[in-house]
Amino acid sequence: MLIEIRELKKNYSLGSSEIPVIHGINLNIKKNEYVAIMGPSGSGKSTLMNILGCLDTASSGHYFLNNVDVSTLDDDALSIMRNKEIGFIFQNFNLLPRLNAIQNVELPLIYSGTPAHERREKALQALEKVTLTDRIHHKPNELSGGQRQRVAIARALVTNPGILLADEPTGALDSKTGIEIMRLFDDLHREGNTIILITHEQEIANYAHRNIYLKDGLIHSDQLNSQQNK
Amino acid sequence: MQYGENIRLALKGLTDHKFRSFLTMLGIIFGVASVITMLSIGEGAKREAIAKYQDLGVNNIIIREKSLSDSELEDVRAKFSQGLSIQDARVIQEIVPGVEKIASQAEKSSDVKYNDKSVKSTIIGITPDFLEMMNYSVQEGYLINETHYEKRLKVCVLGAGIAATFFKGEEPVGQMVKIEDQWLEVIGVLNTKSLFTETVGELAARDLNTDVYVPLSLFLNRFTPENILASQIQQITVQINNSDKLMEASRIIDEILKRHHFNNDDYGIVIPFELLKQEEKERQIYNILLGAIAAISLLVGGIGIMNIMLATVMERTREIGIRRAVGARKVDIMSQFVTESVAISITGGIIGVLIGVLLALTVTLFTDITTFIKPYSVLVAFSFSVIVGVSFGYLPAKNAANLKPVDSIRHE
Repeated sequence: MLIEIRELKKNYSLGSSEIPVIHGINLNIKKNEYVAIMGPSGSGKSTLMNILGCLDTASSGHYFLNNVDVSTLDDDALSIMRNKEIGFIFQNFNLLPRLNAIQNVELPLIYSGTPAHERREKALQALEKVTLTDRIHHKPNELSGGQRQRVAIARALVTNPGILLADEPTGALDSKTGIEIMRLFDDLHREGNTIILITHEQEIANYAHRNIYLKDGLIHSDQLNSQQNK
Repeated sequence: MQYGENIRLALKGLTDHKFRSFLTMLGIIFGVASVITMLSIGEGAKREAIAKYQDLGVNNIIIREKSLSDSELEDVRAKFSQGLSIQDARVIQEIVPGVEKIASQAEKSSDVKYNDKSVKSTIIGITPDFLEMMNYSVQEGYLINETHYEKRLKVCVLGAGIAATFFKGEEPVGQMVKIEDQWLEVIGVLNTKSLFTETVGELAARDLNTDVYVPLSLFLNRFTPENILASQIQQITVQINNSDKLMEASRIIDEILKRHHFNNDDYGIVIPFELLKQEEKERQIYNILLGAIAAISLLVGGIGIMNIMLATVMERTREIGIRRAVGARKVDIMSQFVTESVAISITGGIIGVLIGVLLALTVTLFTDITTFIKPYSVLVAFSFSVIVGVSFGYLPAKNAANLKPVDSIRHE
């Protein structure tokens, strides 16, 4: 099992009182699954994504990623986990504006201590996968939204992570570009990547093979998708 | 994360905001420049003082006749003091322990003539050891030796200035010059001495290069004193073999002279080495003051860096979040920001050193203050700027590292 979540709870402290956001979730995700996590705002899907992405830790319960209990890891180990196992794709791309495309893609490799020439090679390969080899020296503000998201996807792919974690990846794109990006996800899934998609749009969720609905910090439903967009 | 990557990143940060980086550096630039300039002025003054006292001989004790008015002189003579004499020198040599060499000198102002040229000069009668004791050397010919002294030979050694006035292009050695009614043969010309610009005790400031040296025996025999009451000699120079014994020796000399001069206060004792030490002590206070000023300006520079770095960290919260999300550890973020502030302070330090050196040269060029830049002081100023960069970059970098990735990545 790639991801195994047991009785996971998350509270936020607001002054003296604790506000529960996730009430106790159990969830398994296998390798090469393509999962969409859905839910209205306030359902806890962003919090769950942060925990899945090792950006945040649970208040109680266990999260096993590749059989490692993430809830026991310290800050350094979490950083290494993010570096090796997680590839983030954000709604607003989150590229570094002063770096060009290939430098942005190289960024995770810098923190894994990869030598410079190897970094360049891997970054080029990742950019090839997202078909953006002609704009590698452009800064983010010289690229279109779709191109920026491709750079971000290349950055997520470059370390060969266990999970691609995409948070509303089409939220800032027009529908045509959005479809292109979703096609790219399909390809990546076919190549063997595990993808977790966080979205509130059913249309986007339909690309995934499994849909999980969150409501009030609990899993409301978890079903295989019968009407996949192809 | 590789360190080279951090440095590359920091330099990029600097060049991306050139004007802001420059303003941030300004404090460090001024701080380092002032450290360099102040140290160079201090060092210049020190070297000047050492040179000055070295001219007087660091192991020497100089006993000099006080310059007295006619009535004072009459008074002193009435109280039985004969003033300084060769006899005094002889007693000192016999009684004072550790005397290596001793020289007596008598002086008088007089015109020196060569052909139709005449120069106002100080004629100094000396015993043979004198010139050697004072580290004088000849550019031509010889110094006065025992034979000249014993046989009262009519010879003289000229100061560089007077020789230059008399013999333009001519060979001075072997020429005859006339002092009062005596014809003297020039046997040597001294090297140029630096001007004696400061009065030290009874030693008045004057130009040593117009002096003419003759054997003391000849002087006493052939030249009449300016004043009938004048002392036999004007100065005794005593060289002691151990500089630690200078104070003790001078005390004994004072005792002897008091007795021989019947407690008349008609002589002064100058110990160049003690004066040097004293002057150095005074300068030390001054140096501490300068150092404190420089330290304050470096401190202010450091606070400037900290201020900007704190603002930079706030401004780049999102960037920090992104870096953390893709795997940067706290220590990576920390070293990134510390490297950046060190890059600012090192660049500022380098510019500061250059400006400081330039300033020191300018000071020497446009004023009569001597400056000297020791490589050591450049090193000190530079290392201080690095220390400032590290210590004032630490807090902002720590703030950056402690930002929660989950919050910072969503920071707008």
